[in-house]
Amino acid sequence: MSEEIVVQTRALSKVYRDFWGRQKVRALKALDLEVHRGEVFGLLGPNGSGKTTTIKLILGLLFPTSGESLVFGKGANDVSKNERIGFLPEESYLYRFLNAEETLDFYARLFDMTPEVRQERVDTLIKQVGLDRARKRQLQEYSKGMTRRIGLAQALINNPDLVLLDEPTSGLDPIGTREMKDMILRLKDEGKTVIMCSHLLADVQDVCDRIAILHQGELKEMGRVDTLLKVADVTQVRARGLSKDCQNEIREVISRHNGELLEMDNPTTTLEELFLSIVRDSEARPGRRAKVEPPADGGST
Amino acid sequence: MVLEHEILPYLQWLLGGEGNALGALPRFCLVMIGLALLALVGGYVFAAARHGMLGGGDLVFQTVSSGFREMLELSPRRVWALASLAMKEAWRRRVIVALVVFFLILLFASWFLKTDNQNPAELYISFVSTATTYLVLGIALLLSAFSLPNDFKTKTIFTIVTKPVRAGEIILGRIIGFTIVCTALLVVMALCSYVFVNRSLDHEHRVEENSLTRDESGGQLLGYKGRTSLDAYHRHDVLLDAEGEGSTADGLGALRNFGHSHSIEVHGDGHQVLHAEGIMQARVPRWGRLRFLDRQGVEKERGINVGNEWTYRSFIEGNSQAAAIWLFDDIDESLASTEGGLEVGLIVEVFRTYKGIIGQAIGGAFQVRNPETGVKSGLIFFDALDDKILDIKIARKLTSTDNVDLDLFQDLVSKNGKLEIVVQCMPRSQYFGFAQPDCYLRLPDASPAWNYVKVYLSIWVQMVIVTSIGVAASALLSGPVAMMFTVSFIVLGFFRDFFVEVATGVSYGGGPVESLFRLVTQMNVVSPLEPSASTSLIKVVDAGLQGLMWSVAQVLPDFSAFSTVGFAASGFDVPIDRVLQDLTTCLAYVIGLAVIGYFLLRTREVAK
Repeated sequence: MSEEIVVQTRALSKVYRDFWGRQKVRALKALDLEVHRGEVFGLLGPNGSGKTTTIKLILGLLFPTSGESLVFGKGANDVSKNERIGFLPEESYLYRFLNAEETLDFYARLFDMTPEVRQERVDTLIKQVGLDRARKRQLQEYSKGMTRRIGLAQALINNPDLVLLDEPTSGLDPIGTREMKDMILRLKDEGKTVIMCSHLLADVQDVCDRIAILHQGELKEMGRVDTLLKVADVTQVRARGLSKDCQNEIREVISRHNGELLEMDNPTTTLEELFLSIVRDSEARPGRRAKVEPPADGGST
Repeated sequence: MVLEHEILPYLQWLLGGEGNALGALPRFCLVMIGLALLALVGGYVFAAARHGMLGGGDLVFQTVSSGFREMLELSPRRVWALASLAMKEAWRRRVIVALVVFFLILLFASWFLKTDNQNPAELYISFVSTATTYLVLGIALLLSAFSLPNDFKTKTIFTIVTKPVRAGEIILGRIIGFTIVCTALLVVMALCSYVFVNRSLDHEHRVEENSLTRDESGGQLLGYKGRTSLDAYHRHDVLLDAEGEGSTADGLGALRNFGHSHSIEVHGDGHQVLHAEGIMQARVPRWGRLRFLDRQGVEKERGINVGNEWTYRSFIEGNSQAAAIWLFDDIDESLASTEGGLEVGLIVEVFRTYKGIIGQAIGGAFQVRNPETGVKSGLIFFDALDDKILDIKIARKLTSTDNVDLDLFQDLVSKNGKLEIVVQCMPRSQYFGFAQPDCYLRLPDASPAWNYVKVYLSIWVQMVIVTSIGVAASALLSGPVAMMFTVSFIVLGFFRDFFVEVATGVSYGGGPVESLFRLVTQMNVVSPLEPSASTSLIKVVDAGLQGLMWSVAQVLPDFSAFSTVGFAASGFDVPIDRVLQDLTTCLAYVIGLAVIGYFLLRTREVAK
């Protein structure tokens, strides 16, 4: 396995059986995929498509029915591979009776870190995820977003080379989602490999380099996001400062070349961008209220 | 006290030797090899069914080889991290409630425990030790059986097994963590119960001044005799010197009754009875080897069986040549008491064929004999009450049956350090019953406080074993099922002797199926079954079940044997050999169960 390939699965299959060994659900069918060093890889699919099963098989939380998966060239059951892995589960399965500091210190000790290194990592990560003020509070008092952040911190405690994120933006508000996506991109900039699985397509589109789409346990499509999303037979032009005459002239050129003008209009921003700009503005100028425009027909508001 | 199984020297117990065909260590190795083979075969069959013969074999090989490799990669830091987590989890689960329950028990125990018992120390020590045992074992059971299953249920196990944590570290961490928590509880309970026992048994008397009479001889005042007041359901006879004082060290004062005595001092115009002494004792016995002579004087291994009773003791008939003879080894002057002779303890079980005067002791006599030369002392008489410990002092200077002066160590101890004590019953048609530990040479007493610690050490051993069973079982089973499994182990462990009797066919009524058949058909346990096809089937099934039971019995911990409460309650020191044997057995169980727990967790799908 080349140094560039971090995760590799070969004909990886998983069939859930009942106590008597009878087949109940075929969760994954002969999955072949490779994840390269330094890329953000997305596993997409609807609920029950096998995304989380794939993650669990890679981590060794489940045993494959057939096939194999290799992480850094080591089998999924090889515990030593976990030295270089960080995992954020779908829900942050953490010990609720510990506080943030104790939680990170506990997981750091599982990596055999010395007390000095542990202290430094814990302090850095708590500040990085913005939980400095709540470090002494027990996790059972945390909100969903705070719990996700501490979950992310434990996934990064060992400065892993490979980070697996299961539904990382699930349940987060738009600000939390944006922060999570920014963090993923930051990890990529640091040269880490990220595998994330999600059914929230917009989030995956924003951060992933390559994606694999699963459905009913089968791999349906895999490739680079930009390549997959490109609509080959449509040309998009975005320009600023065009006059009405110029726009009409463009229409005539398209028509002369037997092209079909699909749309020429002012583009819209995304709802996420609008939401974030309003929140930033509100934080910068607290107390300012939105102006309510009266209706055009002169009626009451 | 009752000692049904001889306590072997530690190394002899461990490695085997005379009187112990197979040592504990070889037996442990055999059991582990047997279990390993069983696991290999069972694992291969299961894996082959799923993955084919070659695939199954490969899977088993990979599991075993990676298992041994991982055991060598255990990290103490990770184990300690997991142990700390287990301790925090136990604290969160409010184990402190066990202490509250214990304090409540101690608070109200005095209402129900009466001190009119002839041996109140035995009652109190047994009570607090039993209460402690049940509470600590219960806490250990609940903590260990539900911890891992809870982690699986809440999926917190995901964030642990995705770190470089070996399954063995998870198992060991939990065992160590819960052991530390329960040890802390046990220490608190031990301290509180020691204070409770001492405070409860402490009491006061007054000297009844008007009962004091002068003890004179030849016109010379030797001392005073009298009695104390009646307090705590008893009084003492009083013996004072000429100055009016009595020290128990000199054999004076408020004489021994109810298992203790008091020193007495002059206080103003009267006397003051000081605190009770010797309530808690730790006698250190040196045991010998017992053999019997029947009524014709013929040597036998055992005495008479006086009926279908417990066969721990066998009996000698009174007013006959029947005798119980103990042979002691390695006797020299270093064992001499402060008076220069030897102190002997004797426990007699009296069997009366006629009641006689109820409460009156039965007369007996013993002699000291040189087993080499046959020289023996004259008869030394004693009065025996049933199941009472007699403390007999053998003087240095004795006379023989021919009225020749004898020195105990020069004339009655053989050249190779052997000494015999011969005990006989005097009245006709009465019997004395003896077991080997019933006669002993009494060495200087050990510390009662340290003896108390050793008793609680035996409770600690039981607790550690229960914790290990619970953690190992919970690696595969759900919480309630793991708890039931552990409870079954404990119950079977407490009744292990009976379990083995059924497994080996020694007990009446046959095996399990035959017993059930007798129960349902209301047959007695002695009559043989009618020969028939169904009887043959019952016998065949029982043979299989008994084989299985015998196999299970090899790994069952004998919880009733672990307890050393009987030693302290009866006022005996717990031998250090016994303590070492229990600790070694505990270590063996922890190692074995940790390995089993490791493979159960390793071969389990965490996310299923």
